[in-house]
Amino acid sequence: MGLVRQDSGSVEMLGHRMPCEQTAAKLDIGYVSEDMRLYGVATVAWHMNFIASIYPRWNQTYADALLSRFDLKPQQKIKGLSHGQRVKAALLLALAREPRLLLLDEPTTGLDPVARREVLAELMAVLTDEHRTILFSSHNTLDVEQISDRIAFIDRGRLIALEDKEDLLDRWRRIRLLVPPSAVLPQLPGVVEVSGSERLPVLTTSQFNPAVVSLCQDRGTTVQSVDPMTLEEIFVANVQSRRELQPA
Amino acid sequence: MTSARTNYAMVRTLILKDWYLNRWMILGSIPAGLASLAIVLTGKQIAFLLSIILLCMVIIGVGAQLATVTTINERKEQTLAFIISLPVSWREYTAAKILANLIIFLVPWFIVSVGALLVLLLPGATHGLIPFTAIMAVEMLVTTCLIIAAGVITESQAWVTVAILCSSLGINILGYVFAHLRGVSAYMWGMQVRWTGTAWTVLIAELLMVPLLLGMTFYIQSRKTDFL
Repeated sequence: MGLVRQDSGSVEMLGHRMPCEQTAAKLDIGYVSEDMRLYGVATVAWHMNFIASIYPRWNQTYADALLSRFDLKPQQKIKGLSHGQRVKAALLLALAREPRLLLLDEPTTGLDPVARREVLAELMAVLTDEHRTILFSSHNTLDVEQISDRIAFIDRGRLIALEDKEDLLDRWRRIRLLVPPSAVLPQLPGVVEVSGSERLPVLTTSQFNPAVVSLCQDRGTTVQSVDPMTLEEIFVANVQSRRELQPA
Repeated sequence: MTSARTNYAMVRTLILKDWYLNRWMILGSIPAGLASLAIVLTGKQIAFLLSIILLCMVIIGVGAQLATVTTINERKEQTLAFIISLPVSWREYTAAKILANLIIFLVPWFIVSVGALLVLLLPGATHGLIPFTAIMAVEMLVTTCLIIAAGVITESQAWVTVAILCSSLGINILGYVFAHLRGVSAYMWGMQVRWTGTAWTVLIAELLMVPLLLGMTFYIQSRKTDFL
């Protein structure tokens, strides 16, 4: 967004080189972050007029609909709004300019469950338009899991995974085995963690497929269960295994 | 961080935004300025001096306060990310901040400076004071540019306070120094206007400081890698 210059390499956004072509790029971007504030002394209506004067694609009808959906009043001053209302006001300003790309940095942090649901519902509505993209960063993996179709994991400033959500959720499994004294634990692909006991091990794998179950059974072990993992569990397992391999 | 060309419409929008958000402070300075000017109408010499001092206080006060509020508060109140997320480059942002502050200062500064010079041109007035008055008027412009530069570059309350202190001291100390320069003091209280080489040198040096300070502001802003 032109806020910080990259340490190395180059950044391109919507076909524009950053930061030298940032003004052109930002015409198509809506940005909302948890720590971004609007002007406290001004009203919601003033902010709407301000943004409308900058973005030619500003959709007043949509903005009015969002005002009512988010239960915001145009004449309310920003300083009088709750945190949830402020986030919703910022989101309204970003959505009604109809950007091709919405950059949302922790937008649901600190929101009550009702406000969070309203925000996520609106984002999901945006995603029905195939020409629009939302880049949503959050520590709340439940929110990410709910609205994303592609997931990126970032650890210590580095991208460690980027793929379709369904593929990611399909690949990661926890396999609970029963290893009789006569058998040995089979070498399975993509195992990042082995916990439990020697007789009842629990394997976490990043490369699960149905053949893995057959392989275990062929080696004399009993597969007690194959459990899907949540995005949070996948993230933690992924990060921990990488940190063990590459300590800081 | 260079951008292809400056979007002047965006600069204007940002200037109007700052003026709107600080409209009560700007409007509040008008009656204070008018009240100061009204004192001149009493026609007494002491009233003239008092009026000039009050006007300078209003002009510098509004200039310093506006520079402080528009630059520091943007960071302090976390609205900087909102503004920088708009289709605006660092150059447009910097230009808008400088112009928003400078124009608000320049309007009353120009009226007061020209007014003071016109009063000194009246028959019977001490015409010799004109070079010194011009020097001090430009000195006020320089100090305001210093405060604006400090605000835009550092976005820090502490540094702007330092700049305001330096400006206040600077006006007094430099005023004293200029008033005692041979080329200025020798003709200051005379009835004839004498633009000596010394007076011209000081005035031109001060005028050069304005583009230097503003150019330095743009240069340092262009070297910034982090606007957070």
